[in-house]
Amino acid sequence: MIKVLFFGSIADKLGKRDCMLSACEYMTIDDVLEAVGCIGVQPLLVAVNQEQTHDMDYLVQDGDEVALMPPFSGG
Amino acid sequence: MPSVMKAIRIQSEDFSLQDEVAALRETSQRMGGIVTFLGCARDFSEGRDVFSIEFEQYAGMAEAAMQALRDEALDTFDIIDVRMVHRVTTVHAGDQIVLIVVGAEHRKAAFEACEWLIDTLKKRVPIWKKEVTPDGDAWVSEHP
Repeated sequence: MIKVLFFGSIADKLGKRDCMLSACEYMTIDDVLEAVGCIGVQPLLVAVNQEQTHDMDYLVQDGDEVALMPPFSGG
Repeated sequence: MPSVMKAIRIQSEDFSLQDEVAALRETSQRMGGIVTFLGCARDFSEGRDVFSIEFEQYAGMAEAAMQALRDEALDTFDIIDVRMVHRVTTVHAGDQIVLIVVGAEHRKAAFEACEWLIDTLKKRVPIWKKEVTPDGDAWVSEHP
């Protein structure tokens, strides 16, 4: 399974803070976005296992944690 | 002051600027200049009143990103030590939000590092703020 986390305005828009996806072979970040209804959401930052990535073709693995985040606004 | 306070922390409770400066000074007697940045909650933003600000973090990643910033600042600037504390909770006007303390032999490097740290924290650390206003709640999307 892949755990998907949502933060900030994205979580509010989707009405949830996380969900689980069944892992399948050759599943990219773009595939994850499509599965959770986030295709076209901009601006969007992505982290896999707490490391930010800009590679939307990155292949996620069973057990990965994928975070979908709006731009940061701390401080 | 707790005898051991981590140099990098995300916490809900308030912090003491005085205690953080004292903790920094304990690490070295070679500091000729200590610069602090204290970020506080405003009661007005984007032309409207702000009742409160709610913070959210990506737990784990946020503190790791702050630690990475500290490491990079220590490598990049001619400074001796850095402490950073960020609150993640609901704050009201005047409340403290974030504190950065930088110690160096000379002030110029401490000023430069402190400015770089707060500017870069806003870009790299997964923390978000939502302002509660008379017109409703609004996530802050930019990092001015």
